[in-house]
Parts: sequence; C-alpha cells; structure tokens
Amino acid sequence: MNLKIPAIVAAVVLLPLVVRHAIATEIWIFAIFGLGLNLLLGYTGLLSFGQSTFFGSAAYVAGFLLKHYAINVFAALGIGIGVGAASALLVGYLCVQRSGIYFIMLTFALNQLFYFIAYQWTTVTGGEDGMPGIPRPAMFGIDFRDPLNYYIFVSVLFLISLWVMKRVVESPLGRILQAIRENEVRAEAVGYNVPRFKLLAFVIGGAFSGMAGVLYAMLFGIVPLEAISFVFSGNVVFATLIGGSGSLYGPIIGSFVFIWLSESVSTMWARWPLLLGVAFVIVVLFFRGGVVEAWSRFWLWQSSRQKT
Amino acid sequence: MAILQTENLTKAFGALTAVNGVTLSIEAGSLHSIIGPNGAGKTTLFNLLTGTFVPTSGRILLDGKEITGTPAHRIAHLGLARSFQRTNVFPAFSLLDNAWAAAFATGPSWKGLLWKKTQRYTEVTGRARQALSDVGLSSKENQLAREISHGEQRQLELAIALAAAPRVLLLDEPAAGLSPEETRKMVALVRGLKGRYTIVLIEHKMDIIMSVSDRISVMHFGALIAEGTPEEIQRNPEVRRAYLGGVPTALGGVAA
Amino acid sequence: MNLLFGQILNGVATGMLYALMGLGLALIAGILNIPNFAHGALFAVGAYLMVSAIGAVGNFWVALVVAPLGVALLGLLIEYLGIRRLYAAGHDYQLLFTFGLSLIIAEGIILIWGPVGISQLPPQILRGGVDLGFTFYPKYRLFVMVVAGLLVVATWLFLEKTRYGAIMRAGIENKEMVSLLGIDIHRLFTVAFALGAYLAGIAGALTAPIRGLSPGMGVDMLGIAFVVVALGGMGNVLGAIAAGLLIGVAQAVVAAYWTEASVAVIYLVMAAVLVFRPQGLFGIR
Repeated sequence: MNLKIPAIVAAVVLLPLVVRHAIATEIWIFAIFGLGLNLLLGYTGLLSFGQSTFFGSAAYVAGFLLKHYAINVFAALGIGIGVGAASALLVGYLCVQRSGIYFIMLTFALNQLFYFIAYQWTTVTGGEDGMPGIPRPAMFGIDFRDPLNYYIFVSVLFLISLWVMKRVVESPLGRILQAIRENEVRAEAVGYNVPRFKLLAFVIGGAFSGMAGVLYAMLFGIVPLEAISFVFSGNVVFATLIGGSGSLYGPIIGSFVFIWLSESVSTMWARWPLLLGVAFVIVVLFFRGGVVEAWSRFWLWQSSRQKT
Repeated sequence: MAILQTENLTKAFGALTAVNGVTLSIEAGSLHSIIGPNGAGKTTLFNLLTGTFVPTSGRILLDGKEITGTPAHRIAHLGLARSFQRTNVFPAFSLLDNAWAAAFATGPSWKGLLWKKTQRYTEVTGRARQALSDVGLSSKENQLAREISHGEQRQLELAIALAAAPRVLLLDEPAAGLSPEETRKMVALVRGLKGRYTIVLIEHKMDIIMSVSDRISVMHFGALIAEGTPEEIQRNPEVRRAYLGGVPTALGGVAA
Repeated sequence: MNLLFGQILNGVATGMLYALMGLGLALIAGILNIPNFAHGALFAVGAYLMVSAIGAVGNFWVALVVAPLGVALLGLLIEYLGIRRLYAAGHDYQLLFTFGLSLIIAEGIILIWGPVGISQLPPQILRGGVDLGFTFYPKYRLFVMVVAGLLVVATWLFLEKTRYGAIMRAGIENKEMVSLLGIDIHRLFTVAFALGAYLAGIAGALTAPIRGLSPGMGVDMLGIAFVVVALGGMGNVLGAIAAGLLIGVAQAVVAAYWTEASVAVIYLVMAAVLVFRPQGLFGIR
C-alpha cells in the first residue's frame, strides 16, 4: 500500500548505527508517547496538556515495584499500561465534561495535582532528586542492561504499538473519534455517547503513555521529577504538532525532530529550555503545519532557486 | 396508531417560553408537517423530541412508552433520526463515511469496535450506500462533504438521517437555502420517502407543505394553534391571522 | 484556635491574589479565546520587576505602580507581535506559542536575576503586625488583602459599569456581535490582553514581599490561575472571587496541619468540586 512501514522498519534497523543507543531508544519511547497523545489530539481533537500525568504515574509505580519487589520486565510493562490507563480514566472523567479552553486548563491543572503529590511524597518518589536505581532485569536469558538488547526490545514494542494504534484508528472507534472531532453535535445526534467515547480515547492514550513511561524509567534507570511535570506534557504536544497531528505517523517524525533538537540544544547551553522555547515560538509563527509543510516549502524554495 | 406523542410539552429559557404546552400525536406512516412563523418554537420542539433539550414539563412518548429526558445519543437508538436546519455533517469525511458513521451507530452490533477494520462491516457499508442512493448521491460517495455544493450537502444531511434506519424521521427545513430547481428535487425526494417512514417535517415553503403533508400542525409563539389536513389548515382563519397578520390572501398563494 | 484564624486570614489574602490571577486569565481566555500558558510567567515578571524597581527608585509605592505597568506593556507587545497572528491558528498552536513564551520568560528571569531565590521586605510602614484581638497579624498581609480586594472590585466596576467594560463582556459572549457594532476587535483584544497581564503583574508585585521570588513561581501560579478559571468561569468576577477564596483558604488551613500537602490540596479541592459540579461553581458553560 505504501512505503511508510518499510521506511519505519529500515529506520529501526539503521538508527542504532547512526546515533547512541540510548538516544535511539529514547526516540522510539517518545514516539509511543506521541502515538498515545495523537489519538486525543489528532483523531479526537482533544488538546490534552496533561499526558505526563499518565507517563509519570506509570513510571513511578512500575519503577518502585522493579526496584523494591524485583518484578520482571513484562509485569512492569503490564502494570505501567494499567496505571497509565487508570490514571487517564480518573483525569479523563473530570475533563471530558468540559470543552475548549476549559478542557485544556483542566488537563494541566490535574497534571499539577499529580506533580505536587510526586514532589512532596519524597519517601517514595525521591521528590526533586527523582527515583533512582531502577533495574532492567534480564528476561529469558537476555541481558537488557546491554544497550543494544534494550534498544531491540523497545523498538519491537514500538512496532507493536504502532500496529495496535493503526488497528485502533482504522476500526469503528477511530472513525467515531474523528466524527467527534469533525462535529460533536452530529456525532451525538446519530447515536454516540460523546463523553464516553472521549473517555475511551483518554484511557487508550493513557495506556500508551504508561508503557512509554515504564520504558523511559528502565532506559535511564531513574524516574526524574520532570517525567510527571508539565514540561513533558508540553514536549509531547510539541513533538506531535511538529510531526503533524493529521496523520498516524506524525508523532514518529515529531519524536525524531524533538529528541534530536533537545539533545543538540541541551549540550549547547545550560539554559537550553530557553532555546526550546524559542524553537516553539518560531515553529508556531513560521512553520505551522509541521515538518512536512516546512519540508515542502524548502523544496519549493530550492527548485525556484535552481530555475533562476 | 400514534407512534410519537407529546403531552403538554413545555420548554422555558428563563422568561422565554419557547414551547408552550404542546400536545401532539403523530400517526405511524404519516407525513406530519409543523409550520409556523420564525421563532414559533418549531426547532426547539425538535430539540425536545431528540433529547437535545430536556423539557421543563410535559411528556414525550414513543410507541406509547415514555422517553422524556432520554439523552440525544440514546434517542437515535430508539428509532428517531433527525436532519438539521443548518447543514451539520462531518466535513472532512467522504460522503460514504458520513453515512457510515450514522449507520454504524444504530447498526446491529458494535462487536469489534476497537479492532475490526471499518471496511469489513459490509452490512453497515451497505446501509450507508443505500442511504446515499436514496438521496441520489451514490456517484459522489468518495468526495469529501466539505467539497460538494450546498444543495448536495442538504441531500447528505438527509442521507445521514436515513442511514440510521429510523422509524421516525424528523426533517428540519430540508429545503433551507435551496434554489427552486434544488427545492423541486428535494420535494420529490421527501415525497419518495413518504410511506416508508413516519416523517415529521418542519418547512417554511408553503407549496411544499400543502402538496406533501397528510396532516399539518401550526405553531405560534410556542403553542399549537391549529391542526388538520392541508385543506382544513388553508381554510382556518386563525392560521391566516398568525401567518399573514390579517392580510386576507389565500395561504397557498403566498408562498407560490 | 488562633492559629486557625490566622491561617484563614492568610488564606483570604492569598485567595484574593488567586482571584486576581484568575480574573486576568479569564479576561484573556474569554475575550481572545486563547489558552494563555504565559500567564504565570507574567506573574513572575511582575514580582521581579517589583524588586528591581524598588532597587532602582528606592520607593515601594512608585515600584508598585511601575512594575505592573511594565508587565502590561510586555503583554501588549506579546499580543501585538505574536498572538495577533494566531487567532485563526487553533488552540494547539496558541498553546504552544504561549508555552514557548513562558519557557523563554522563565529562563530569561534566571539569566537576568539569577537562579537563586530573592527575598523582599515590605515597606517600612507595613512591617510588623497589628493586634486583631484574637491574633497578632502582619500588616503587609492585611494591606495585600485590601489592595487585591480593591482591584477585584475595580475590575468588576470596569466590566459592569463602563461602556468599554460592557463591550468586553459582550466580547466574551458573542464576538460577531462586537464586530457588527463597529468596534475595533483587534484593539479590544490588545487591551484585554494588556489588562489581563496587568492583573497578573500586580498580583506578582504584591506577592514579592510575602513569599519572596524564585524562577519557578510562575508555573506554580499558572496552575492555580487555571483552577480559579475552571471553577469560577470566564467573565464572572464573583466566580473568580469565590474560587480564589475557596482554594486560598483551603490551602492555608491545610498548611497549618500538613504543610507538605498544602499545594496539592488546591488541585484536590478542584477535583472534588468538579466531581459534584462538573460545570464549575456557578455552572457556566
């Protein structure tokens, strides 16, 4: 049908040859996070600014159990997905009853609630210092402490996530969510319980965020406080928008761009959030429509230059 | 036999009573029109029937069972479908997907909701195609709703309602904003649906009303002031006053 | 018991500041239909400008006038140079833009004033406390309570009793109508944003001597302002006051018994209210 799937598989294979394993792994983790957000943002038209709630909650809970109860990797993933979905159910329940700016504000405010709990509950979360010492236990004789092994593990999970999300958006649910995005009143009138479907989108998005959170915690061996803060929520929104929220694959492109951007600016200057902020502003003012549009504009400019 | 009834249905918005004690009985299989000047409360009545608004007082019955206060998304499953006065479609969807979304909602089963591909619901797709064909849009099923003409969007509006396979169709000014040629087409369409569905029609264009209706109810300032066959309504002096401000013209002649 | 009364008074003082923040944010959200994620940053700028202005002119009162005006000017520039281009862009890009601004401002504060917290004393005349009979209470907090209260009332009077205020309220309800009336909607937007920024700025300036300054103060306040708007509604002064006081007092009372939970409780109160009243305290939209 198209070249996207082979291109993604090729990227999965080639990426660790080009960049450090940790960065390559982080890209796919962030892509899973973005896939979850995009079900809300791109497909349902719900701008959630609180996705790190689910990401961080899952990371803390699974991280805690990995660290203190030596659970295995799959149990950690399952628990992370469950915690992500459950926290999304709680947050979503309060948010889906409001719309527009109120909705956005609520997702952020509830994110703050989880953040401040993590910030103050230092005996469990380590507060500002984060929760260090999260292991990557071996499984089936595979040592996940080896960066390449872990990369392979994560990228396989990413491919599975992508496949699952593709099925979801091509299912009736995907079409119903898009119908809600297109016209909420009509969707209700033809017989869909709109708040209930929005909540379902939240829960599925939360499950993806939760999985990403656990993988992140195991990648770096720590859950930093930022993992549950508005910063991560903002980052994933940025990545998804820059990749293009209009397509299933947008968040993947966005994840590449974002991780590359944050890796390069963070080594440049201690005040790198400033540069990130500048990047946000520039993208919004000049490159709305994301990388895809910027790229086509670049080509137009190139070809017009060659003509003259 | 009455399929849809209201008893003393009232809706007040603060000091304004938009619908005032309306008692109505729609016979199964009939085409029952609701007419009245702008602001008479016709669309509000529809919004009550379809659960968009909860009535201040009074009851709504479908098949003799009370459905008052049932939320909008449940109403569709009870066999009531509506079209909107202002075109209200899914703009970025193809025409087929517009009808599909409505057909699936009231379809036989939601099994596979999260997993099965939409193309594999052949029965739902068949119903959606049938609805498009009923309104004469089959040839455009792959075009996007935002790209077709206003007249075609009005037809699509109707197709979305039909795709739900309803027993009662509530049509809110299906010919709103149409040219005379398009209006003629729409009237033929509605006439074609007569008998297959119970239809409740809101319309301004009097020639349409008089030619297609079995019964007509007249609303004025939120209340019902008359009900009868087209002939009875044309002869009714109170209706003339409400409509024409006392100008003694034949009702049929006004809109023509 | 006296501790509790004192804390309730504290809660009223901070609650009025929260109401100011929420009011400013609601004006911007209601009139411009923009989720202003830079609102907390504007609050922080107000506080830092206050400290710098006191340092420069040596007079608290002059600084209290100048610093919020500086923030209003900053708001005016932000609207004029940036947000104005984004009215048709959708909430996602508006959010990203204001969020980017808040990052820039927060980091800018660290660059200009340094990463370490700064403390600021109230002016000589407002130092110390007064005996209220049941408790001995700091003068400056009483002062903040009064000034914030007056500002809220002034905003209310402006919205309810002046022609331009009526236009603003109309702008929240129905923008098309405002355009039809022949009012320059762009200017209305600029004024609304500058006014919202002013309220955030003066809340920041008043806060400086109570809590001191830190670069992260903006984000903390942003969340609180969101809570006030979510509970109080847009364009509803009474709603903002009720929501501000509710969370301010709840926070202060909890702080007396369980300091660690004093911030989380703000959001818990919000969540609890929303469970029972999903549309906020007064059920607006």
